[in-house]
Amino acid sequence: MNAFDYRAPRVVDEALAVLREYGEDARVVAGGTALVTMMRQHLVRPGCLVSLRDVQGLSRIEATNGALRLGAMVTHREAEVSPLVRERLPVLAETFRRVATVRIRHMATIGGALAHADPNQDPPVTLLALDARVEVRGAGGRRELPLGEFFRDYYETALEPGELVTGITVPLLAAATGATFLKFLPRTADDYATVAVAATVTLEPDGERCREARIALGSVGVTPLRGRAAEALLPGERLGERVLQAAGEAVKGEVDPLSDHRGSAAYKREMTAVIVKRALTQAWEAARRSARGTR
Amino acid sequence: MTRVVRLTVNGTSHDVEVPTYRTLLDCLRYDLGLTGSKEGCGVGVCGSCTVLLDGKMISSCIALAVFADGREVTTVEGLAEDERLHPVQQAFMDAGGFQCGICTPGQVVSAKALLDANANPSDEEIREWMLGNLCRCTGYYKIVESIRAAAQRSRA
Amino acid sequence: MAHRVIGKPIGRLDGIEKVSGAARYSGDVTLPGLVWGKALRSPLPHARILRIDVSRAMAVPGVLAVLTAKDLPSILVGRRMFDMPLLARDRVRFIGERIAVVAALDPDIAEEALALIDVEYEDLPAVFDPVEAIKDGAPILHENPGAYEGAPAERPHPNVQSVLRFTLGDVEAGFREADRIFEHTFSTQLAHQGYLEPHAGVVAIDEEGRVQVWASNKMPFRLKELLSHALQVPPAKIRVNLTPIGGDFGGKGSLMDLPLAYHLARVTGRPVKMVMRYTEELMAGNPRHPSVITLRTGVSKGGRIVARRVKALFNSGAYAAFKPAPSVNLGGASMGAGVYRIPHLSIESFCVYTNNIPCGHARSPGEPQMVFAGESHMDMIARELSLDPAEFRRRNLLRDGDLLANGHHLEHVRASDTLEAALKASHWSEPKPGPWIGRGAAMTHRHIGVGFTNARVRLETDGKVTVLMALPDTGTGAHLVLRQVVAEVLGLPIGLVEIEVATTDDFATDSGVGGSRVTHTGGRAAYHAAEKLKEQIQAEAAKLGTPASSLAAIARAAAKEGRTLEASHFYDAKAHGAVTSFTAQVAEVSVDPQTGQVTVRHFTTAHDVGTIINPIGHQGQIEGGLIQGLGFALMEELRTEDGRISTLNLGDVKLPTIQDIPPLTTVLLEDPVGPGPFNAKAIGEGSISAVAPAIANAVADACGVRILDLPITAEKVYFALRAKAEPQAPPATERS
Repeated sequence: MNAFDYRAPRVVDEALAVLREYGEDARVVAGGTALVTMMRQHLVRPGCLVSLRDVQGLSRIEATNGALRLGAMVTHREAEVSPLVRERLPVLAETFRRVATVRIRHMATIGGALAHADPNQDPPVTLLALDARVEVRGAGGRRELPLGEFFRDYYETALEPGELVTGITVPLLAAATGATFLKFLPRTADDYATVAVAATVTLEPDGERCREARIALGSVGVTPLRGRAAEALLPGERLGERVLQAAGEAVKGEVDPLSDHRGSAAYKREMTAVIVKRALTQAWEAARRSARGTR
Repeated sequence: MTRVVRLTVNGTSHDVEVPTYRTLLDCLRYDLGLTGSKEGCGVGVCGSCTVLLDGKMISSCIALAVFADGREVTTVEGLAEDERLHPVQQAFMDAGGFQCGICTPGQVVSAKALLDANANPSDEEIREWMLGNLCRCTGYYKIVESIRAAAQRSRA
Repeated sequence: MAHRVIGKPIGRLDGIEKVSGAARYSGDVTLPGLVWGKALRSPLPHARILRIDVSRAMAVPGVLAVLTAKDLPSILVGRRMFDMPLLARDRVRFIGERIAVVAALDPDIAEEALALIDVEYEDLPAVFDPVEAIKDGAPILHENPGAYEGAPAERPHPNVQSVLRFTLGDVEAGFREADRIFEHTFSTQLAHQGYLEPHAGVVAIDEEGRVQVWASNKMPFRLKELLSHALQVPPAKIRVNLTPIGGDFGGKGSLMDLPLAYHLARVTGRPVKMVMRYTEELMAGNPRHPSVITLRTGVSKGGRIVARRVKALFNSGAYAAFKPAPSVNLGGASMGAGVYRIPHLSIESFCVYTNNIPCGHARSPGEPQMVFAGESHMDMIARELSLDPAEFRRRNLLRDGDLLANGHHLEHVRASDTLEAALKASHWSEPKPGPWIGRGAAMTHRHIGVGFTNARVRLETDGKVTVLMALPDTGTGAHLVLRQVVAEVLGLPIGLVEIEVATTDDFATDSGVGGSRVTHTGGRAAYHAAEKLKEQIQAEAAKLGTPASSLAAIARAAAKEGRTLEASHFYDAKAHGAVTSFTAQVAEVSVDPQTGQVTVRHFTTAHDVGTIINPIGHQGQIEGGLIQGLGFALMEELRTEDGRISTLNLGDVKLPTIQDIPPLTTVLLEDPVGPGPFNAKAIGEGSISAVAPAIANAVADACGVRILDLPITAEKVYFALRAKAEPQAPPATERS
């Protein structure tokens, strides 16, 4: 790696000040699993690394009004094993659990994952299905934006120069909702997904018909995507082969996968439909169980 | 640009001056002479470089030495107590859990961390924990057996 | 016969250093003043080098030297055919070829300096496909390959490195006799050996001017010879210090970067360490040859094979330098005949130059490729003949006295027993537990390796015995096996027999590790040395009037007279024995029809083996080889397009993980007929080659789809299922 300056601020304001000082020559590092790997491969050569590892106040997991808030420096492993996350949003804990290996999850942070914006990552898919909101801080102050607006392109986010992700707020599920995350990785057990799907299904009071569904897709575009055309087909419907088939076909038209060693674009497109159908089925059945349980 | 980092490695404190680009692995191997941890893939995938940072297993080849400033590091060299091998080390020897040995430091450090967290892991839990420790020689069967045996022995 | 130590499941006593991190591999060696070397590699597959400017790199603080080809003698290197320069001189022939080296105070500084070396290239037309490379008008990589030292004479095209043929009978006459003829073509991927220790070496020139070498190389004496040739230094001035090796699997027998480390050491006056990053291994590390193999087989009405023609094209890459066999080809080509009696046989194996990564030997060189083709072909024929694949094999299996394509007559053939054992253990004939589940079988055989080894055994004054050998520890457990052999001969418990790893100064020669030979050659050398020592001990005991078991007393008595009880033996297995080892494997798989994903539900492996010296180590070799075969079958691939490898980190190569291993049943048919000590055979390369076809055959059984190229990915199965279901639908236009 190249020689670089290394700064380890203790508060967010100090971090922001260092970023202003170095401008484009600075990169923020949290867990380092993505950044240090890229630096070792000579893909990135920052003049300064600004570490958030000692910054106070970014590692909390807390329940707020009807939501969970996770600080940017919460690691994947902390989110995975957190009793609060496992109880309130088990689908999110399960998603974090699917990422890479325990070693990576000990280091990699949520904020780092979001800022890295690799569409092959798992947590953004579920976070997108859950309508999460990203907190950003910069010289101009705080702002919050929906995750769907945060990802712009492959490795590109809505972060302005000198801005940091400081946390993410994830609304809890409505009653009578089932949620599933499915990661399809047919080669070996340690990989990014060929296709990843997070689905939530909320049922009408009759416990059978869909009131609302959310479908998020990973590894099939330059950012994680919502399958809105497919989502639109579901309200009012009962779980059945016809509606699943229609949702699968609709989602195929919404994705634009890249061919790579995890699959050709054609294969990924076909698998999107297959995995969406499976995810919807599981989420629907979980919702029905949950609805029956509360009646 | 260099930094002085204070690392406690296997219970001993060291002040080391390192270039900022120095990985924790290279610092352990070359600045401190602890060559037990190995560089295999260099991208955090194979697990040959596994060490414990404040008790949690990490890939030291993609961690900067400066990340470990003020922290505690446990390497394979720190597993044995005086002359006695850790039960995991003994189990790997008895069951043939290693062959060429290059992945073995990472395997035993990871297995020790598993048993510290879960003294009675199921086979499924063993496989989930050890997913990131690749081995090309053994085909893994005897690694699972070794860890199972170590768990049994520790409980006895 | 009951043994005391042989056959006992002794754990890896020698493992304390490995489990504690104390073992020093080549990359761990450090010397005062050590500096780091790094190589600059070509970004182009075929180009002329017009200009190299190293001035910016030389100016980097911490850089001690930068060398290009003009600073070195124009020597060509290789393991058998010497066609590769130390550094590319005026032409590069593959992406990854070395063009310059830097010595610096740490590897990061060295790598930063590489980026400051300015090179100007002029593109040359390139060729990547071996089929294209041997056509008229193809770009030529080496103008006159026949002129290279070690080059075989036959050269139908300048891009052919070598041709290897095996012939029996008259294949055309055989085809005329046949009632039906079948032809199929298969292909296999570029795959790395996957050892987790990348190539590493340290070279130091000591005060006496001797070249001291520590290297991840499993043939230290051959290394010494090759270095002597490459460095133009007499062999006596070179000493190879053996270190344990972090996995070899065929890939660690070449000079790799060592001559460059030497020249950097010479120029800087400092010891130099060079360690390949894994990316460099994946770009330039002599992986397994990709192949395109066509088999044409004629069978009689009764389902007997009467004739077979095999044509194999191995995509050998830009240099032949990494192949060690005298044929400069892959011996595994002889497995085109499989485990069958084929009276009329013609096998032609071509190793072809292309502008790709130069390939080398990998576990069972050429065999996983050939056996995938041959055993898939057998099942496809069986299906056409409406025969159970096991029955078709039964009708054609080798028997005692049969002549193999490589000229050996077989004895103690247990092909049939091994097949039946695998079928029985895998519940072959029972109904499958559900739909989309299939079973497939495949067989192979593997000779016991030959070579030559020196051993010396010495009685110490504390009553222990030291076995001195210059065979490196590549991880197989061979050192423990050698200790067990000596302990058995001398009637000692294993704890009293130690092994001492020698250097190349201590013996004249040794063919080193490889080809599944160490238990045989090393074991026999140790065995005979131990027998000689036993005689000496008995003679001394008689003289002293003490029991022969009072070893310490005997040793001390001799020491008082200035003598050490010590015996040596050089064992040279010149000819292949007539004994081989059969392997029969059965895979049971399930296929997910919606995604094409293949899951191996169960795997059965049956082996016809000799006396097993260490059951734990023996089983470890079976399991390790088998999982490598699994990776080759389903997961692993170095993806390359136009000479550029895109899977440049180990995570992308897809080696099997601990979660990918299937439940396994092993059946061992132990027959004490091997040429090794106590009638041992060999096992190291027996379990890898039949895995891929067993799985391919199981997939065909499960869902009717036949995959002809490896790896068998979910995507390939998915699209093949679609094509079967919708024969009128246009094929998918994009493929991975």
